[in-house]
Amino acid sequence: MSEDFKDSKAIQAQSSETISSGAGSSSPDLDYVRPAEVGDQDLYHGHSFITKWVFCQDAKVIGVQYFCLATFTGIIGLILSWLMRLQLGYPEAAGFMTAEHYYQFVTMHGMIMVVYFLTALFLGGFGNYLIPLMVGARDMVFPYLNMVSFWMFFVAVGVLLASFFVPGGPTGSGWTLYPPQAILEGTPGSGMGIILMCVSLILFVAGFTMGGLNYLITVLQARTRGMTLMRMPLTVWGIFTATVLAMLAFPALLVGSLMMMLDKLLGTSFFMPTILKAGEVLEYGGGSPILFQHLFWFFGHPEVYIVALPAFGIISDLISVHSRKNIFGYRMMVWAIVIIGALSFFVWAHHMYVSGMNPWFGFFFATTTLIIAVPTAMKVYNWILTLWRGNIRMNTVMLWCLGFIVTFVNGGITGIFLGNVSVDVPLSDTYFVIAHFHMVMGIAPLMVIMGAVYHWFPLVTGKFLSEKLGKWHFWLTFLGAYSIYFPMHYLGFIGVPRRYFEMYDSPYMTSAVGMNEFISTAAFIVGAAQFILIYNIIKSLKIGKAAGKNPWQANSLEWLTPTVPPEHGNWGDRLPVVHRWAYDYSVPGAKEDFITQTTPPSEVTDSKVEKT
Amino acid sequence: MSGLIKKLFGTLTQKPWEKEQMAMDSLHEGKTFNISSQKSAVIIIFGIATVLFSLVFTAYLYTIPPEQDTMYLLKPNLLWINTTILFFVTYFFGKITKDLEKKETLKIKKNLIIVGGLSYLFLFGQTIFWFQLMQSGNYVSTNTYFSSFYFFTALHGLHLLGGLFFWGKVTSRVLKLNNSEILDEEKNISALSLYWTYLLIVWIAFFLMIYLFNDSFIAWCKSLIS
Repeated sequence: MSEDFKDSKAIQAQSSETISSGAGSSSPDLDYVRPAEVGDQDLYHGHSFITKWVFCQDAKVIGVQYFCLATFTGIIGLILSWLMRLQLGYPEAAGFMTAEHYYQFVTMHGMIMVVYFLTALFLGGFGNYLIPLMVGARDMVFPYLNMVSFWMFFVAVGVLLASFFVPGGPTGSGWTLYPPQAILEGTPGSGMGIILMCVSLILFVAGFTMGGLNYLITVLQARTRGMTLMRMPLTVWGIFTATVLAMLAFPALLVGSLMMMLDKLLGTSFFMPTILKAGEVLEYGGGSPILFQHLFWFFGHPEVYIVALPAFGIISDLISVHSRKNIFGYRMMVWAIVIIGALSFFVWAHHMYVSGMNPWFGFFFATTTLIIAVPTAMKVYNWILTLWRGNIRMNTVMLWCLGFIVTFVNGGITGIFLGNVSVDVPLSDTYFVIAHFHMVMGIAPLMVIMGAVYHWFPLVTGKFLSEKLGKWHFWLTFLGAYSIYFPMHYLGFIGVPRRYFEMYDSPYMTSAVGMNEFISTAAFIVGAAQFILIYNIIKSLKIGKAAGKNPWQANSLEWLTPTVPPEHGNWGDRLPVVHRWAYDYSVPGAKEDFITQTTPPSEVTDSKVEKT
Repeated sequence: MSGLIKKLFGTLTQKPWEKEQMAMDSLHEGKTFNISSQKSAVIIIFGIATVLFSLVFTAYLYTIPPEQDTMYLLKPNLLWINTTILFFVTYFFGKITKDLEKKETLKIKKNLIIVGGLSYLFLFGQTIFWFQLMQSGNYVSTNTYFSSFYFFTALHGLHLLGGLFFWGKVTSRVLKLNNSEILDEEKNISALSLYWTYLLIVWIAFFLMIYLFNDSFIAWCKSLIS
């Protein structure tokens, strides 16, 4: 129980009272806020190093823990991608690598990047750090559960990485883990590798469910006074909707992983049809491998939006702050997030066009897939219209934002290609698909992460990151990423298949050799460029410029805490009171070009808020 | 439900930048629904568990091969007894909820212990049932029907164990309190009651679809597809 906040119930005050003591011009009627009806939250304050920084219940520390661990796994994923590119571009230099190694690296790279890096970072990292701050709460509603959530994730990562050290190594069945091959001999890691992968995913889902409960209930039930749902920053909307998706989609991954483990360990046949091996009939029979594909993609497609929606939300806020304009079409942006989230559950089978499905199903899923492009395009238009005639600050954050918009449009357009059955079938399992999904859910969200890091680093640490290093980081990543993935589209068009350890000898493949060398070189450079950020973080922590309070002159609550970086409990002895949305930038008649969410109406009586 | 949908759409059509809306929004207390965090958590867990069990049902229907005969299945009476126990648990939780509403706290401790005892009895009965099945030669790998059967009952058992974990925490706290202080735990107890009601609903769905009317249910599903 908290000692520090025990008295806070007694001093919860209306904002009008607060202002009258400092600003004599305030009008109590204009600034009236309903008195707090809900008791303040009791928090557990750690006193030792262990309870403060290791088994900590503060959502901000948990957010940073998620961020660091996800980044660590991301670096492992990056190293695996280097090894893959070494084999593809310069096979003579990768003599130590067998085909089995290659498939294992492909599998682990995919699963790590999608689940353990992007999902964990957006929801666990940004979600934990930003949700309580942005909605004006002291912490998540169940801090203990939140802490357990992180440590479940920690164990899940440990189990996943342990599979590198077991006999047979990690699973090499591709990140989709399709049975029957994933659990049959002949596939790398078909023993302990696949079991550890399933156990790790089960732990991840269980841990995430605990965190997700916190995110949802904090957003729905623990906002501060005046913070209606439609006053929340879009970052919170994105993370909230993505969490809803995750809570509904992860059970499919859980069921699939559990069933596959039973197939492997207890000889059940959920996913196993009658199989002949070396002339002998195996004991399996009666199951359906297609069932696993349905389960996997029922999780897998919403997973794309579990990553994308927080990115959409964050980028909206970054663009608004750094172009000093209110977000164009706030309501439309919220609707688009919700509609995209809902539609994402009706498109999963577009990943299965070549599985032999009924053509009518293909037609249905192609239609729903293309419909998703409508709300997504609305968002892109609104980002551009927010920038239009804005007072744009061309800093590192803005560069990442612009890079994101271009990359996302690029990857989105190739998604429209692949959403059509007739175009997808010939392109299926080629490098065109690799190029598409890396652009749209690899590089684009990565750019948002980078923009968000440069934007919120001053809040977390009180220091600015170096702009000079940031710009080097951006340009190397941006140009390098296009050097990797533009040629890859071409490789796909000429029919180069994905998941091949080495290219077989054929006349048209020769044109791919030089391109593969070029792509690999670019991949090495882009990967190395990411270490600029790590250097920048270490350097800025030591000698970085002090940021002070609200250095970007933003409106949302996270910048308005009494101390920077915010301390445990976020708001000192008094919760903030919200008087407006988070997007009042460059309001005509206002003294400054931003009006924070806590500014009472009496202080800005002459301002005219523009309708969008 | 219609109220919820109305509230949702009402919220999504607000224009937070307009002065009239700003005045209304400033009166907002900060909560979306007038329920406790504990109850909110149970409702969200319902959502997740509903998806999970729906997927298990779907997988069950997907993996029953057309040629598989489901008529021969062993149907011992024990599952009826286990189902009755689960009904009794819900009945006692109902009594606890009523007592809480009336602020009569005398029997709450006793009824909470009965609820836990009956739940453990249910789990014990399920384990015996598994042994009965195995003794009759029906193992988890015998065919896809039994695979689903064991899988579902195991998941339901785990779901119940999760509930029993929180039941243990709440009950141990309640037992230490005076009768007059038990009302402080009302939010936790009513959340538990809701949780057990949901467990019963899932169990009834399972009991009817996979056990009692499994043949006709499969036949009906096949007729839908054909």
